[in-house]
Amino acid sequence: MSLLKAAYQRIMVDNLQPLVLVHLLAASLVALLRFGPDELSSLLRELQPVHLFFGGFLPAAVVIVYLMLRPRAVYLVDYACFRTPHTSRVPFATFLEHSKQSPTLNSRSFRFISPLLERSGLGEETCLPPAQHNIPTHKYCTLDGARAEFELVVFSAIDDLLAKTGIAPDAIGILVVNCSLFCPTPSLVDIIVRRYNLRRDIRSMNLAGMGCSAGLISVGLARNLLQVAPQGSHALVVSTETITPNYYVGNERAMLLPNCLFRVGGAAALLSTSPVNARFRLNHVVRTNTGAGDDNAYRCVFQEEDDEGNVGINLSKDLMVIAGKALEANITRIGPLVLPLREQLLFAISLVARKVFRARIKPYIPNFSKAFKHFCIHAGGRAVIDELQKSLSLSDEQVEASRMTLHRFGNTSSSSLWYELAYVEAKGRMRKGDRVWMIGFGSGFKCNSAAWECIHPAPNADGPWATSIHRYPVLIPDVLKH
Amino acid sequence: MPTAMATAAGMATGPGSRVTRYAKSTAASVTPVRPGKTHTLSALDNAMERHAVHLVLYYRAAPGVDRDPLKESLSEVLSLYPTMVGRLTRGEGDAPGSGWIVKCNDAGVRMVDARAAVTLDEWLATASADEEIDLAYFEQMGSEPYIWSPFYVQLTEFTDKSYALGLSCTHLHNDPTAAALFFHCWAAAHRRSTSPYSPFLHSPSFAVSPAASPPPAPPMLAAKSTAAPPSADAMSSATFHFPADAMRALLSSLEPETTPFAALAALFWLRVAAAGTAEEGEKDLTLALDFRKKMHAPLPTGYYGSAVHFTRASADLSSGLSAVAAALDRRVTSVPEEELWAAVEWLHARQAEGGEPFQMYGPELTCMALDHLPLYGAEFVAGEQPARVACRVAGAVGEGIVIVLPAAEGDAARDVVVTLPAEATARICRDDEVLRYGAKVVAGTKVETGAKAK
Repeated sequence: MSLLKAAYQRIMVDNLQPLVLVHLLAASLVALLRFGPDELSSLLRELQPVHLFFGGFLPAAVVIVYLMLRPRAVYLVDYACFRTPHTSRVPFATFLEHSKQSPTLNSRSFRFISPLLERSGLGEETCLPPAQHNIPTHKYCTLDGARAEFELVVFSAIDDLLAKTGIAPDAIGILVVNCSLFCPTPSLVDIIVRRYNLRRDIRSMNLAGMGCSAGLISVGLARNLLQVAPQGSHALVVSTETITPNYYVGNERAMLLPNCLFRVGGAAALLSTSPVNARFRLNHVVRTNTGAGDDNAYRCVFQEEDDEGNVGINLSKDLMVIAGKALEANITRIGPLVLPLREQLLFAISLVARKVFRARIKPYIPNFSKAFKHFCIHAGGRAVIDELQKSLSLSDEQVEASRMTLHRFGNTSSSSLWYELAYVEAKGRMRKGDRVWMIGFGSGFKCNSAAWECIHPAPNADGPWATSIHRYPVLIPDVLKH
Repeated sequence: MPTAMATAAGMATGPGSRVTRYAKSTAASVTPVRPGKTHTLSALDNAMERHAVHLVLYYRAAPGVDRDPLKESLSEVLSLYPTMVGRLTRGEGDAPGSGWIVKCNDAGVRMVDARAAVTLDEWLATASADEEIDLAYFEQMGSEPYIWSPFYVQLTEFTDKSYALGLSCTHLHNDPTAAALFFHCWAAAHRRSTSPYSPFLHSPSFAVSPAASPPPAPPMLAAKSTAAPPSADAMSSATFHFPADAMRALLSSLEPETTPFAALAALFWLRVAAAGTAEEGEKDLTLALDFRKKMHAPLPTGYYGSAVHFTRASADLSSGLSAVAAALDRRVTSVPEEELWAAVEWLHARQAEGGEPFQMYGPELTCMALDHLPLYGAEFVAGEQPARVACRVAGAVGEGIVIVLPAAEGDAARDVVVTLPAEATARICRDDEVLRYGAKVVAGTKVETGAKAK
């Protein structure tokens, strides 16, 4: 039954246009054959150059141009996530003690942090960078500390990736790094180019300030660059968030949330237009930005100074509502690309009924389980995952990867999607042909999606989950008392 | 010079110190502790509140002995010690009589990173015993025990990449034996093997049933509890090294079968008392003994907690070193276990009534026997034992404390650490009677180190 479903997906959903063309060609061939041998030979004798041109050369040219202009398929050769070290573990009690001993945090803020951590969905094994283990924390959040964290995370992930794929560093033609809140000079791509002796003519891009959804932005950019690079090129995409320099030292409650939820993490992925040894195929990348014309969305995740001049990220109370709207905008664009016809029709009918005829019916939520087997929802926080589970009507098992990643690694920003994918693979749930939907949210307010299809599942559970996967899934209580 | 950060964190060393502490952090264990775990401290533990234990182990430069690997093995060994990474809180009712309970909340131990401006050999040759405290950072409890770490580990790197590992802890948690065995476990974890002295956590080890009538007060402890606070004389420390031949010379001049501890305790007792008026008759000396293996139902060596028993030995000081040593030996071998249990019962009853903890080590002169500890077995790299070990018990003010430790040479040799009023220490360091068997002062007082030869 699933073979039929996979075949249906492959034929009807992915390749509608060629299908139509093939039908037309078949119809014309049938019509041609009806003529009979005598009529055919007489027709051929009457052929003029103009008939040849319109009958033969033009359609052939159209077909060839179509085939050449089709975007190249992009494949994920492999990916590797930073394995957080045990020595960087931050239990809740340690975090609270350090906060209590911080000279900048007042007792009211401390009383706010405590219940926040208990309800956050984070576990006791999340990690902070070495600089943030010191007392008092903010004095050690220096530029050198930030570079050290970046190098620790990214070099470790890239070393892992190079070992897994067996690729030589000078085979990498494109390098895209995204790290939202740390942008030194020389840039982060230069640090990587220097460390791994990458090519002098490397096409490198450093994306800063693009928020937690930047991981998929980088993937989209790498895909676009691969279209104009020589066939078979490799692109290295590095997603991370360096949290050392972003410790908020004020007392504004909405700005203390990132201190509590963000944890160290990073991932490196190798994309290529060559399907050799590839493990996933990138089907679609859809990016949606809802900031234009919507002030609430634009200011939802906003970096600003508080009353004392301390810089921090202010998270608005309407985050969930705005995330829901951004998701709807993104679904409207990715739906037609991935959903089977029936779901699209039902959604279109519901949309028309609500918008044109103003019928008071609930919006039809397309059943994305028919389009995707695995869901990787950005582990931005417990509320985000709850909201998305409700919006998309997903089961607990479908959001398990996101919840468990939040528990084990905390909010690692743009790389959390890769940790979630690693969870699904470490659990052995990935099969050939399975489709994965990665949804990222971030400041702006952006909602970005990527659709992947598995070619080869991971051979083993080696990766960031290697030491802990046997303990998962865990039941995460509403309030984690310690 | 203390850095601004060190001052901000409150851990700067004094002016002129050769040790700079530059970072304070918290080390967590590898595996999270099961939530809700607690450990109740015994009456004996609770009684030790006024004291702290400081241990410093010196290690020569070796591959594998470096800051990051040490931190990793520390995190691994902390997984075996859920109480070390917990925090103190009062028992139910919050009444003072309810004693301390350790809530194993996984908060971790404080770690201090430091650098010394000299090589290890220079330090060992020239550092005074008081300077050694710079290698073992400690913070007093303060007003908020729940965010106060009872354990502090300091990693000090010398210029030749040798390390000094300092452990400071409150005596509420660990006596010197337990602290020493922690190093053993840590070293074993670093070598990727296991220590035979894994921690044994068993709160009921010293549990006593509530007595029908109040138990009689053991005279010595009663005297300690009502003793007036001793004079504010500054105390200072010195370390003596008795090489094997010095010990043999000393023991040969005494009765056969005299133990090294008794010989050294007697020697120092006589020399410290020699300064006072020559009174006739029997004098008393307090001995602090590790009672783990002296009990009828012996506790495992790795028992986590305080198992120190204070007992009084009497001897006539004018009868000579040999007789005094023999008297001490007789006392050590014949201490009745009932004495320990009487003390525990009385402490338990006193605590239940709300009695405040008092100074247990002192104020009279106390001699502590720690030479049974496998301190030099704590090898972080197989075959590399510590170059030297230093031990202090803080809070022993008054007449002072003499601690007998094993020495690096092994078997017969001993190190003796004395903490006495400053002028008594200075006098002892120059005392010919002490030095005549071949002993050397290896860590003298600040005044001594300038004038000391070799």
